[in-house]
Amino acid sequence: MLDRIIFGDNQFFGINHMSEEKADALMEKFRDLKAIMNVIDIAYDAGIRAFMLNTNERAREICDYIRQHADRYADMSFYPSMPYAHKYAQIVAEKGIFGALREVILADSSAGDILGILKKGGMSLFERDMMKVMQLLVDMEMKIFKGLNVKVVFLQNIVTDLLLGLGVKDVFISFASYIRDKYGVEPGFNSMNMPKLVDFLLECGIDNPIVCSSINKAGYFMNPDIKDYERTIREKPFRPLAMSVLASGAIRPQDAIEYVCRQPQIQSIVFGASSRQHIIETKELIEHYS
Amino acid sequence: MIKCGFIGFGRMGITHFSILNTHPSVDVVAVCDSSDIMMKILKQYCTKVRTYTDYKRMMDKEKLDCVIISTPTDSHADVIKAAVQRNIHIFVEKPFTMTPEEGAAILKDIEGKHLVTQVGYVNRFNEVFMEVKELINSGVLGDIKNFSAEMYGATVLKDTKSSWRSKKKTGGGCMYEFASHCIDLAIYLFGQPDKVAGSVLQSVFSSDVEDIVSSNFIYNEGRAGLINVNWSDQAYRKPANIVKIFGTKGKIVADKHAYKIYMREADEKQGFEVGWNTRYITDFAKSVRFYVRGNEFTRQLDYFVDCMEKSNFENISGFSAAQKTDVVMDEITKDAAVTLSRGAANNTRPDGSPLMKKPAKRSSIWSKFSRQEVESVR
Repeated sequence: MLDRIIFGDNQFFGINHMSEEKADALMEKFRDLKAIMNVIDIAYDAGIRAFMLNTNERAREICDYIRQHADRYADMSFYPSMPYAHKYAQIVAEKGIFGALREVILADSSAGDILGILKKGGMSLFERDMMKVMQLLVDMEMKIFKGLNVKVVFLQNIVTDLLLGLGVKDVFISFASYIRDKYGVEPGFNSMNMPKLVDFLLECGIDNPIVCSSINKAGYFMNPDIKDYERTIREKPFRPLAMSVLASGAIRPQDAIEYVCRQPQIQSIVFGASSRQHIIETKELIEHYS
Repeated sequence: MIKCGFIGFGRMGITHFSILNTHPSVDVVAVCDSSDIMMKILKQYCTKVRTYTDYKRMMDKEKLDCVIISTPTDSHADVIKAAVQRNIHIFVEKPFTMTPEEGAAILKDIEGKHLVTQVGYVNRFNEVFMEVKELINSGVLGDIKNFSAEMYGATVLKDTKSSWRSKKKTGGGCMYEFASHCIDLAIYLFGQPDKVAGSVLQSVFSSDVEDIVSSNFIYNEGRAGLINVNWSDQAYRKPANIVKIFGTKGKIVADKHAYKIYMREADEKQGFEVGWNTRYITDFAKSVRFYVRGNEFTRQLDYFVDCMEKSNFENISGFSAAQKTDVVMDEITKDAAVTLSRGAANNTRPDGSPLMKKPAKRSSIWSKFSRQEVESVR
């Protein structure tokens, strides 16, 4: 069962789709882990139990802290989203795609045995089995969450949408079964193209898939358009999660939440906020309209 | 269906592939890249496309309608020429070519041919900048007197020698790889300057290329603009473009996500009050049919397809527009040499050691090294 309310983490990393200035201000505000934990504490104490975290250095610190204070966060569950795209983008720009993959895999200390795999028989691992490479990357990023209660592991939207455009079914099928088999949790997919992705996942034979996308009254970040989203939600067998429900502040909170809650198929609402007032208001609105 | 082939399958090539592969009018039939491994993997997982390591062979065998070129800049001219000879429509990543001479020769070659050409200056398809362009044209700002076009990012934070982007010979450096976006945006919004002055190229970390580009654009009609670009600025999480425009009736400050306009008098038609008016991208963003990495990337390629379908050869980001950017970049480089010879720039590394005694000078594509690079693309 997916949590009705999931607390997002974009605000901690200076992500604001509306304004670069606001993004900078957020970056400054959440420079210290303590400031982040204060907000997480507010959310947790308000009764929110589920947290979506993009895998990155900040997530590592947050998870370390939560492990060290396990009693305080006994009921907390996690919805990680991977890979940490910004990290890869930087290395890819410098070393190319394979250079970056090689560096990332080899930088992982416990992947020592992989060295052999990479060079075996004069043929690189990339040539022989890209799915194995994908699994290695998943394992590396999942280490951040070791010992914590993970519910769904999401494939981050840039990667999801890029692969969706390429039309490579194997990656989706392989990711889904690996997450299920190895970690015993559900696979999920973040996307900016929800209707197209849902059709594709169903074609891949992934049953009742979990798809997280922007869903808001303004139609913001909903491609190709809001009508297609509404129809897909109504008609297709999948589990939608709604994010960007407030469209970075473009919609009145009441209207925004009412719009999402009016669609009973939507299982969960992911929202991020950085003040006590906003967190509690949004949570109460969701409960009111649900 | 438009038959499309890809040349170069790195970060940008893959992004463009993903966008066009989902276009209802486009059939992506073939991909060419110098990386054997990449082509093997692609063949394995994307069975419908044929793969090549020789682009001329691909062009000859596949009867393509268009090509998407995303190779290092020093190979652009050769690949473009091969496509022009075969009457194939061309989309090429920015910048256009290595030198104004190369670009001019290509423009001469395509004269009279009915070819759609486009260069990947994606800012021209950003919703905020498109709106700013319309506002300038509408006259709401009055006479544009002064502007600044800035671009910052944390792209290069150490001396990376491994990438083609860090080498002059392959078309690397902040000017070509980064500032070209900012310079093109300034030309798109304000036109090609009649003169550039006081240009400086500085290095922060790189040993072979510039990391900071600054210059002044001067226009005969009494307009001036400041260009300031730095790709070694860690304060930016993502590359940011900032444009400030001063006109006789008002002022605009814009980035990729929002703009604000200051009006001396209200403009009812545009809905602007006296003083500051802020517009966020959420106010006017339009969805795209398929999103990868940003609306503007889809909009730019869909426009290219649209031009082919409608036989529209007046592309707003076509070769002749991009040639202006190449000419201005060349002028900045030459102007910087003069500025530096006067000792105006402090060209030292953060540790105080000297760097780049002379500003980056574009070598000819026919240098031995770059010819080998082109061969490897084949």
